[in-house]
Amino acid sequence: MDPTCRPAVIFDNGTGYSKLGFAGNSEPSFILPTVVGVNDSFLKNLRHTDSNSTDTANWLAQYNAGVMADLDFHIGDDALSKSGGIYTIDRPIRYSQVENWDTLEKFWQQSIYNYLRCDPEEHYFLLTDSPVTSPESREYMGEIMFETFNVPGLYIAVQSMLTLAAGYSTPKSDMTGVVVDIGDGAPQVVPVVNGYVIGSSMKSFPISGDDVTRFVLQLLQERGELIPPEDSMETARKIKEAYCYSCTDIVKEFERHDKKPDKYIKLWSGRKPKTGVPYSVDVGYERFLGPEIFFNPEIYCSDFITPLPDLIDMCVQSSPIDTRRALYKNIVLAGGGTIFKDFYKRLQNSVKKIVDDRIAANTARLGLDVKPQPVEVNVASNPIQGYAAWFGGSVVASLPEFYDSCHTKEEYEEYGASICRTSPIFKGMY
Amino acid sequence: MVYHSSFVEEEGINKACGCPLLPLKSHVRGPAPASDPDKVDIVDEAITFFRANVFFRNFDIQSPADKLLIYLTFYINVALKRLEGCRTLAVGTKAIINLGLEKVPVPGEPGFPFPGLFALPQSEDEAELFRNYLKQIREETSGRLLSCAYRPNGTPNKWWLAFAKRKFMNIIIP
Repeated sequence: MDPTCRPAVIFDNGTGYSKLGFAGNSEPSFILPTVVGVNDSFLKNLRHTDSNSTDTANWLAQYNAGVMADLDFHIGDDALSKSGGIYTIDRPIRYSQVENWDTLEKFWQQSIYNYLRCDPEEHYFLLTDSPVTSPESREYMGEIMFETFNVPGLYIAVQSMLTLAAGYSTPKSDMTGVVVDIGDGAPQVVPVVNGYVIGSSMKSFPISGDDVTRFVLQLLQERGELIPPEDSMETARKIKEAYCYSCTDIVKEFERHDKKPDKYIKLWSGRKPKTGVPYSVDVGYERFLGPEIFFNPEIYCSDFITPLPDLIDMCVQSSPIDTRRALYKNIVLAGGGTIFKDFYKRLQNSVKKIVDDRIAANTARLGLDVKPQPVEVNVASNPIQGYAAWFGGSVVASLPEFYDSCHTKEEYEEYGASICRTSPIFKGMY
Repeated sequence: MVYHSSFVEEEGINKACGCPLLPLKSHVRGPAPASDPDKVDIVDEAITFFRANVFFRNFDIQSPADKLLIYLTFYINVALKRLEGCRTLAVGTKAIINLGLEKVPVPGEPGFPFPGLFALPQSEDEAELFRNYLKQIREETSGRLLSCAYRPNGTPNKWWLAFAKRKFMNIIIP
């Protein structure tokens, strides 16, 4: 059966979570943490084995474990729940870069065969990568996909493009805008004009969703809340996802918390993973201090002090002058780190203030009679922000031109893995 | 970005060491002028802004009153550290009284936490005036802080005492 008749498979592998599904769907079929739990207990046992041991039964058992160990691994939530036993957790992607290709291959293997349950030879694949990955990384992706899984066609897309293609900010998807992508890996502010990423204006922001989790954990521990140490990051992450929100003013929020504690202070209860004993934690001012680190990074770390709105402004100002109004009008949020309640409002107000202040200062300094047209600043937000790149992939892969722009297996066999180095996007597809 | 003091008006206010001696709603004796009981004074400001300002490491000074705000924020941090082990209001009060009995350094003396922030006193009298003002404002702050840091029934309020572990401006308190 012709693979072009079947929906393409979309894999958006991120540092924290991977989104998997088929093109044409409005949400991914699976969102799972990008972790693999491998069973390497046989390796540890082999080291302790006495080489002169004559216990053949023991040796055979270890040999069998070694042979079968390839297939004995779990991914995603399964891996996390089985951690601590014979499985060690490995995260193949760190800071948006793939560090361990073997583990990623295992991850893809289970995703395709166990989760999506499809035959890779019958579907075209769309993978995503960050705008800053090296061409070699794309080459490896191509190699694994074509060699191990024998896919008929592959398209490696840049996540920022897909976010804009998702088209939730404007009635028709406008390929000009600033994509603010805050995930678990390295957040990026990427300006895109007419489908081209302006590489020199890209700005990266070292504070990610992970750092918010760390900060929330730090605040909770400072206050002496009892969080089981073996599970601290996971608990803090769940608390962050459940209760954090973005406020307009820290001092006023503190006052609100003081005046109405029943409304603002929440209780989080859980069970200790090892003993099963229930525990509970009060969650208070970390609810709004967590997301505050995007707007005031110095409360969390001392080496980076540029707030996110300033960074977005710097990014637009360093782009070509004729694109700036369009960029301000279409600031698109993506990634899990942006789904805090009222985050987009705060960001919009902050960026608008910076822009308005600058215009006012210029007008005053130059004494202009004609007032310049006010710059419209729009920060777009949508419930699908968390997986905007996946959704964009689904949209792109449903277009009829998609299949023609993929790298095909025939091309791979003819020219080798280097065909995957260039992304078709940079050839001006849009 | 940090929260600044609203007391930018400097007319008619005495100064010592480059710092305005702002009025306080204080019952403690000292050189500070009296303030209206309805208005917010610098101690109220320091306490309200403390939990936000304590996170910051860079403070841009917009007015001389900000210098006093910085000093008070640091003092509140010190006071909270003293209150860390105190389980009841009575024990806490005793610890704070001990803190108040310690020698209060003025700018220029070793032990003053922010060398270079304030101007050096020009004379002995100015130094003494400033020392007395600092003593008064510290005692006033301690009193109002105790009412925040402890609940009405005398138990510690963890939402305040957690900040004892924070280091304002990364200064390690001895």
